[in-house]
Amino acid sequence: MRLHRRDLLASTAVLFGGITAHASIVSGALPWQPSAGTPPEPARPGPWLFFTNEEAAAIEAIADRIIPPDPQTPGGKDAGCAVFIDRQLAGPYGRQEGLYTAAPFHKGKKEQGPQSDAGPAEQYRKALAALDRYCRANRNNRAFADLSDAEKDDILAGLESSRIALEGTNGKEFFEAILKDVQQGFFADPLYGGNRDMVAWKMIGYPGARYDYRDWVSRHNERFPLPPVSIMGRPGWMPGKA
Amino acid sequence: MLRALAITIGALVILALAVVAIGVGVRSLMTPVVDGIHHRKGQDFALIERGRYLTAVADCASCHTIPGEGRPFAGGRRIETPFGFVAAANITPDAETGIGTWTDRQFDAAVRQGERRDGKPLYPAMPFPYYSRMSREDVLAIRAYLDTVAPVRNPVTSDLLPFPLSIRAGMLAWDALYFRPGEFRPDDTKSPEWNRGAYLVEGPGHCGACHTPKTWLGGDENAQKLRGSVIQGWFAPNITNDSTRGLGRWSPDDIVEYLRDGHNRLSAATGPMAEEIALSSSHMTDADLYAIAAYLKDQRGGSEATPPARSEDAAMAAGGAIYRDVCSACHTPDGRGVPYLFPALAASPSVRSRDPTTLIRIVLRGARSVATVREPTGPGMPAFGWQLDDSEVAAVLTYIRNSWGVAAAPVTAEEVHTARTRLAARSE
Repeated sequence: MRLHRRDLLASTAVLFGGITAHASIVSGALPWQPSAGTPPEPARPGPWLFFTNEEAAAIEAIADRIIPPDPQTPGGKDAGCAVFIDRQLAGPYGRQEGLYTAAPFHKGKKEQGPQSDAGPAEQYRKALAALDRYCRANRNNRAFADLSDAEKDDILAGLESSRIALEGTNGKEFFEAILKDVQQGFFADPLYGGNRDMVAWKMIGYPGARYDYRDWVSRHNERFPLPPVSIMGRPGWMPGKA
Repeated sequence: MLRALAITIGALVILALAVVAIGVGVRSLMTPVVDGIHHRKGQDFALIERGRYLTAVADCASCHTIPGEGRPFAGGRRIETPFGFVAAANITPDAETGIGTWTDRQFDAAVRQGERRDGKPLYPAMPFPYYSRMSREDVLAIRAYLDTVAPVRNPVTSDLLPFPLSIRAGMLAWDALYFRPGEFRPDDTKSPEWNRGAYLVEGPGHCGACHTPKTWLGGDENAQKLRGSVIQGWFAPNITNDSTRGLGRWSPDDIVEYLRDGHNRLSAATGPMAEEIALSSSHMTDADLYAIAAYLKDQRGGSEATPPARSEDAAMAAGGAIYRDVCSACHTPDGRGVPYLFPALAASPSVRSRDPTTLIRIVLRGARSVATVREPTGPGMPAFGWQLDDSEVAAVLTYIRNSWGVAAAPVTAEEVHTARTRLAARSE
């Protein structure tokens, strides 16, 4: 079929002429509600919500090897990284809320994200069980948390390099997940259970959830004097504790 | 609250019985209303236009129109009073449910004498004690305008108050105590501008309905005129010329801009005042607004005791820390804000008002300023009630009330707690 220029122009005109544009004028103010917004829900202290005590001990041991304590700053365990991961896995993140999780599942590229109906919570559970089996089978029936630091490092390095395979799960992916999650727990707002007393922010000199540095834009090579502040405040906010 | 209401009701019954005779007597002594039937002026555009303007000045729509319903003056809006709710009447010209068949005399009696068509008294939620200052011509101009709005069939049950306040005859006693009928009389020693301002403020503008402190029976404390009062969960601030808690540091231009645009170099209007500006004062002429400013600038603020400036105590230290971390990004560390955008807390009469109701409410729930033709942005403040606990809200308010060279009573955590509980029951 030959398309004539005239036909093309005519049909294009019909096409666009058939679509009526509706403009509207917004006047007055935008809608507003008191107490609007969805504020974050602070993680509450208390017992583990997702992990068993044994699982938590393993996570805390791993966190302390990824971020070991030093004289100035507590390690991953005391900073609350395991609490952070526990609350995340017990919440919408662990349940993959908002993600499409139905079949079919194909092996995808890394950039395509997880390709499985097992969310982070299930994968943590499987991997920790497999890690426990591995340790008990290969390290005199001891749990990961009971190993020496050198043994723990050897196993973590083995998982990272795929030298050690875990039964029924991908050990390398597990290592990558926990490496990322421990870091997030260490540096995230204390609101979420980790970074206790803002220790990570104090370590690196990050002033926290502030949003006005206009006074400091032109003051170079000077240390910002104010202490870090969490979304839920800092000790100086409490009358009598300044 | 319940106890106060019980006392109020009990006392009102006694007053009703004891003073009803006097009340009836006062009613009969009131300025006689010129009799006459209602003449429809029809096409007298000048009169209708004047009435339209005065209807805006008197802010009739604030009560008689439910926002967003598209039925102007059809009534039915529930008006909150300290004693309960009162529903505003349908004032469209609908013959059956509006005021279509009222005579001018009946309309004038309602507006200026607080008397219904059936002779029963109106509750003073209808600000007839102020409208009584208006001239008959102005009232009938409003009538002429209302005749031109679309009639809406909307029966309104106005009696929502609990017994014994539901007995309207009791209001005769109230009238005897608080209602001083009579048209505004100009003061020859003052300028015409001042007198125009006085007429607008004391009459149709009925500023004192919110801004004058009330007795326990809801009458005006005339000795405290315009010195601030709690209303509907807000504190309507002192609008006298008081230099600390009133408008003493505002120029007439500041007042005019605020009333016309909702914003000036120092402040922004929110809450019921935002509604007043949107419906009423933003529609007024600059000449009338300057007249209002001239009158307000001539009101003595009285001698409110100013507490001594607070030394550096725990609440001030904590409040300063919160202010620096949370508030200063918009309101600036020196409290001077950003003109026409973020209020200057350092220069705000509201911040230093004797009653912190408005301050607590804004910090807990956020606030939206009014958007007007000249200031169309209507910037808002987010809520901090989720982030700051009662003692933190109290500390930061104590800090802003006692910084930048001024002083006001501290805010306590208990006050914040009470306000938080009460606000939970309010929609907006």
